[in-house]
Amino acid sequence: MKLSNSIRLMSVLLGSCSLFAACKETFELPADRDFISENITYENKVIQPIIGRDNIHTGLLLDNSTLPLKFEIINPRYGDGTPYTDVFQKAPTYEWIAEYDGKEKSLAEIEAKRHLVEKPYFEVDDYGRFIMYGSSTNETVAPRPADTVVKTQDVRFFDLKVSNSGGFQIIKDLQLIPWRQRDYSPDYDMNPYTGGVAPDPRNPKDPSKREYLKPSWFSNIIGVNSNTNLKNDDKQTDLVVFIRRFEGGNGKSLRFRFLNPDSTSINPAKFNETKWDLLVHGFNKQMTSEYVQYDVAYPIPLTSIRTDYNSGSNARVVFKYSRTGMGGTLTYGEMGLDFRIFKPGDWEIVFMFRRESPKFEDE
Amino acid sequence: MKLQKNIILYMVMAVLSISFAMAQNQQIQGKVLDESNKPVSGVTILNASNNRALTATKDNGEFTVTVPANTTLIFRGIGFTERRIKINVNQTSLTVRLSATDNQVEEVVVRGYVARSKEKTTGSSYSLGEKDIKDNPAINIESLMQGKVPGLNIQVNTGAPGFRGSTQIRGLSTLSTQGTGNESILMPTSPLYVIDGVPMDADRASEFGLQQQGPGISPLSLIPPEDVESIEILKDAQATSLYGSRGAYGVIIINTKRGNSEVPRINYTHSSFMRSIPKLRETLGGNMERNLKLLQIYTNARTQGELDKIMQTPSLADSLNSYFNNSTNWQGLFYQNTFNQNHNFSMDGGNQQLSYKANLNFYDETGVIKNTGFTRYSSNLRMDYRPSRRFEFVGQVFAQLGKMNKGDGTGILQTGVASGGQSSTLLPPPGFFTASSDYVAAIRTRNDNKTKLIKPFIEAGVEIIDNLRFRTTLSYELSSGTEEKFSPAASSGQFSEVYAFNNRYSQFYSRNNLNYSKTLKEDHDLFFSIFNEIIHVTNQNSVITQRRTPNDQFEGPLGYDGYFSSGGGILSFKNEKALSFAFAGNYSYKSRYVLDLTYRLDGSSLNGFENLYTKNPSIGLKWNIHREDWIKGLPWINTAALRGTWGVNVMPTATLDRIYGKYNIYGNYNQQTGIGIDSYLIPNPDLKPTTSMQYNLGFDLIILNNKIDIIYDTYYKRTENLYQESYLNNTTGFSTLSSNEGGLVNYGHEVSLRLRPLKGDKFFWMLSVNGAYNRDVLLQLPSIFNGQLIRWDGSAAKQHILNRVGTHAFSNYVLVNRGVYATDADVPVDPRTGLRYRTPDGTFFQAGDPIWVDQNGDYILDDRDYTRSGSAQPNFIGGIQNEMSYKGISLTIAASYTAGRTIFNNALAERMRLLANPYGLQSVVPLDDLDMWRQDGDIAKYPNAYDFSRAGNINPLRNDQTLWEENGSYLKINQVSLAYNFDREFLKRYRLQRFRVYATMDNVYTFSKYSGPNPEGVTSLGRDLSNGYPVPRGYALGLNLSF
Repeated sequence: MKLSNSIRLMSVLLGSCSLFAACKETFELPADRDFISENITYENKVIQPIIGRDNIHTGLLLDNSTLPLKFEIINPRYGDGTPYTDVFQKAPTYEWIAEYDGKEKSLAEIEAKRHLVEKPYFEVDDYGRFIMYGSSTNETVAPRPADTVVKTQDVRFFDLKVSNSGGFQIIKDLQLIPWRQRDYSPDYDMNPYTGGVAPDPRNPKDPSKREYLKPSWFSNIIGVNSNTNLKNDDKQTDLVVFIRRFEGGNGKSLRFRFLNPDSTSINPAKFNETKWDLLVHGFNKQMTSEYVQYDVAYPIPLTSIRTDYNSGSNARVVFKYSRTGMGGTLTYGEMGLDFRIFKPGDWEIVFMFRRESPKFEDE
Repeated sequence: MKLQKNIILYMVMAVLSISFAMAQNQQIQGKVLDESNKPVSGVTILNASNNRALTATKDNGEFTVTVPANTTLIFRGIGFTERRIKINVNQTSLTVRLSATDNQVEEVVVRGYVARSKEKTTGSSYSLGEKDIKDNPAINIESLMQGKVPGLNIQVNTGAPGFRGSTQIRGLSTLSTQGTGNESILMPTSPLYVIDGVPMDADRASEFGLQQQGPGISPLSLIPPEDVESIEILKDAQATSLYGSRGAYGVIIINTKRGNSEVPRINYTHSSFMRSIPKLRETLGGNMERNLKLLQIYTNARTQGELDKIMQTPSLADSLNSYFNNSTNWQGLFYQNTFNQNHNFSMDGGNQQLSYKANLNFYDETGVIKNTGFTRYSSNLRMDYRPSRRFEFVGQVFAQLGKMNKGDGTGILQTGVASGGQSSTLLPPPGFFTASSDYVAAIRTRNDNKTKLIKPFIEAGVEIIDNLRFRTTLSYELSSGTEEKFSPAASSGQFSEVYAFNNRYSQFYSRNNLNYSKTLKEDHDLFFSIFNEIIHVTNQNSVITQRRTPNDQFEGPLGYDGYFSSGGGILSFKNEKALSFAFAGNYSYKSRYVLDLTYRLDGSSLNGFENLYTKNPSIGLKWNIHREDWIKGLPWINTAALRGTWGVNVMPTATLDRIYGKYNIYGNYNQQTGIGIDSYLIPNPDLKPTTSMQYNLGFDLIILNNKIDIIYDTYYKRTENLYQESYLNNTTGFSTLSSNEGGLVNYGHEVSLRLRPLKGDKFFWMLSVNGAYNRDVLLQLPSIFNGQLIRWDGSAAKQHILNRVGTHAFSNYVLVNRGVYATDADVPVDPRTGLRYRTPDGTFFQAGDPIWVDQNGDYILDDRDYTRSGSAQPNFIGGIQNEMSYKGISLTIAASYTAGRTIFNNALAERMRLLANPYGLQSVVPLDDLDMWRQDGDIAKYPNAYDFSRAGNINPLRNDQTLWEENGSYLKINQVSLAYNFDREFLKRYRLQRFRVYATMDNVYTFSKYSGPNPEGVTSLGRDLSNGYPVPRGYALGLNLSF
């Protein structure tokens, strides 16, 4: 009897305990899930990268959605509905594995800090950045039409599926409208639609005239005939620059040349104050009476980190010379160019004095 | 009701004792004493053979009975464990010691202002007695309750005399916060206090957050703990629903002592206590400071300019200048050890017809920060008059005066002291020729704060017919709080200023109560109660500040200069009228099965029009298993009961401007002043009150002859319609909508275990352990937020708060810190751009910088890298009490613990940031004890604090990172007391009834892994304030004297 009473009491207590425990299951509490905002989108949903350059399109507006998120490009199609795959083809592209700091002593040392990986021409990375890789070319990815009219069937549309444990959102109708390949910068001597020569902005209708690249700055360079400062302005263009490929290099060379109006070379040694060893992050300098040439790693500059060779995201070259000016003072002439070159190859940068040669002689 | 029964009982007993005296057998004279050798009056003595009452003890505890030999007597007294003693042949004297019942079940409790037997109530509550809060001088009774009640979370997070910490019953009840940055706290949701039958709002003084305005004296601080007889904490909705909307955060009922001694009795309690300075920040003094600063500059400067700046910094370069050739202990100038005293004098007497008591209290505590302190003068007079069993009358007056000195700070915050204490030790101490403005402000600011409170209370009751009682209660509380502050010229830019604050608060309270109780056919107990309540509260705070007053000698009366004065005005006002009706019904069968039903209607002028009356229903069921016949076979079970309740508390969230909108003067229209509606908040007359629905299940178990006492409760509390501002589309013309769409759930378990393994006459030991687990989950937010709301912290601390549905209601939203970069090569490089991880201004991270997780992967550290981390709301709270006594000596140890929460060690962050500017005039602190990065390859926890040159760009010691998040768990020894009770026979020679001395140590030690000074000294959102008021340790010597 006593035992059964104990059992009865125990069963009452145990029963109530299990009842308490069961109640917890019926709470129907919301789950601890990530937050994903309905308002997740991009600042700019039209992506207009330039083919042949590494382009990173950022501007994801998270609206405080919980990270990490998973991104997936879905439903790629032209404006007329036909699907496309060309931008998803894979090609080798460089990826940094260590920080380039501008103090590397050889090309091999630079190359050890990056390696080639297979990447599609266009992708979204794990963090929602759209990347068009520099491995793309006009041939592999069709640029926008040369006639400047972008019709809807020329536009690559796609949707982006963004998900985390809180669910998913689809960002609709992102547009990819790539610009034609331009392998160097500044590139205002090139027509961005056709890839041809840009017309002279002062006489755009005159096919016999063209636009030229100009140095970023030059100063105190005196014409040998006029004995006045050379200048680039609305009336005259004294000094122009060409960034162009040349034949006969080793595939990784960069050459600087200086031309008189008659296309004869100026000996680079005449720019006697130039710091040739700090001009570009190049090696194996070859200095001839016609040019100075280095072996370099492309693209130039490799990164936008501050080095002796760049200014922000551009490489910077400065050519300088000194001469005795009027009254016996030492004067310095200087010209400089901020530039970038995206594709590897043999490139030369040519400074051409169009009207008259500079005066190197002392007064 | 209970008292009535007692009167009848006494009469019956008197008659019976006379009739038994006729049957001369064996006369026994005896005395009944309690554990502390105090006589116990009113103990009923029964004859065990026929269960008849023989007599009751007198006021001196003596009794005389005449019974046959070998009779077993039962001694039964309220609040004591029953004892059976067999009378031997020829025995003529008997001394009986009764031990107090500490079990929670056999008590009398108050429900809806009516005393009931706890056995027949179904709600969850917990009681504390006088002895639970004794021997420790304290301003505020709340700090004495810490750790003693399962589910009652009290954090003594400020040591400022006269201020309260935070109090919560069963977790979070709000989604609102106050203040920004370090000073952000949860909107206080203190339980409703019912002091001697009159509700009191304990949050009254805290409406301005930590930036306290006015005296800020909590009305609770005006009640001397020595005057408190019993405290009951009501936790579940069944228990609180009769208190209506004000009881939504739980109810704490405090009853003060009443007269109960036929011979007038005088009690005197005194304690002298010392408060000691808590551990202050270690500081390098004098030349060590200079050398450290110079070494820091030499080794970390990045530019020539930074080195040259030494020459422009005389405190570093000009070491021979006597102005900069000092070693001043600034912190020592602000802190002091203090000696304080507390006197409590009470007199009581009377009999069943008329009893009276008077309690006078004087408490004086000087703060450990100089120029702060609190003084209390309190009196409580009460008279109970019962000319017949049909009629009763009670009159009571509380008159209290609290004086507080806050110095220059706002009480809880002592910003001036904190910044003054950080002054460079190289500077000369305050003297005749020099004065630091921080020092002058802290020490010489004249501050006169007073809260005066007077509260008369009358109650009259009459039994209209048998079992039907009518009782009416009237109370009017008037309190006035004033602050006058005069800041001398040297403290604020060479112009003195005055500040005055005025608060006037009144509460009219009236209650009419009709009770009916009846027992039908012996087994069916019925009880009904209906009552109404009328409350009218008015409150107004106004302030005036005048700057640039004439001089330090002339403090007023002052004129008014409109240009320099920042004027003043009404800070806030309130005029609330509330009317309530309530019904309570209780039915029990053979005391076995109990059914409780209550319903309350609350009308308040603060409710929206559409929801003028809120409805608070509740239902409770209880099964007293120990009353079952079959349990009689289990004698080791003393009490066993199962409880289950459901109830709703509805609480208005509206304010006048939320319902009506706010109107303001907006320019002119046709040369007429135009008044328009403030477009910030759209009026919302449909604003719903907050609904708090709670289930509670529990059981009570007392076994092994009251040696083990277990109470278990589990609850599920669902709070809906919480107030949360929501945003409107700007096309509406308004920006904000008062919304009710917040929802919150708390669920948890509470256990209280009390062991009394030894209960002899000489030796007594009691150990109680209690613990509560609480988990809060955010249920919903206004739909516009789509499940997540981030409260961006606009202050420099940037410690944002995240509310996300399905998670802790309040989580931190900060950067995740994963240590320190040991070398430059450890900094990640973006494989796309080749650039190192960097700040938005392009500063690259390097060795010695903190590793902050780049959540969005753009290799730039910015606001998008925040993520959810810890929560400051504790999951576990509880306490341990140990009481031992041997003869007259007793030892009490009380401890409390809090676990499962995350707090921010902002104090350490600030301490390390002192090194960010070696040219400045702040002190420096030794960092040798910290695991800090010092050289390449160091695997460290803290980033390099010495790298001052990049500190502005990287901000490695920023507050908004998980580096400062630490485990805020602690176990605190609240109190250790040793007391000695002198022998009664010895005392008789000096005509003393009782003489007791004790020594107590308060806030003894805190066990914690927290690296800061005190894991409890954090705000309710878990921020360790470096400018807060430290909690001191106390040492007290005291005595109780009765004659």
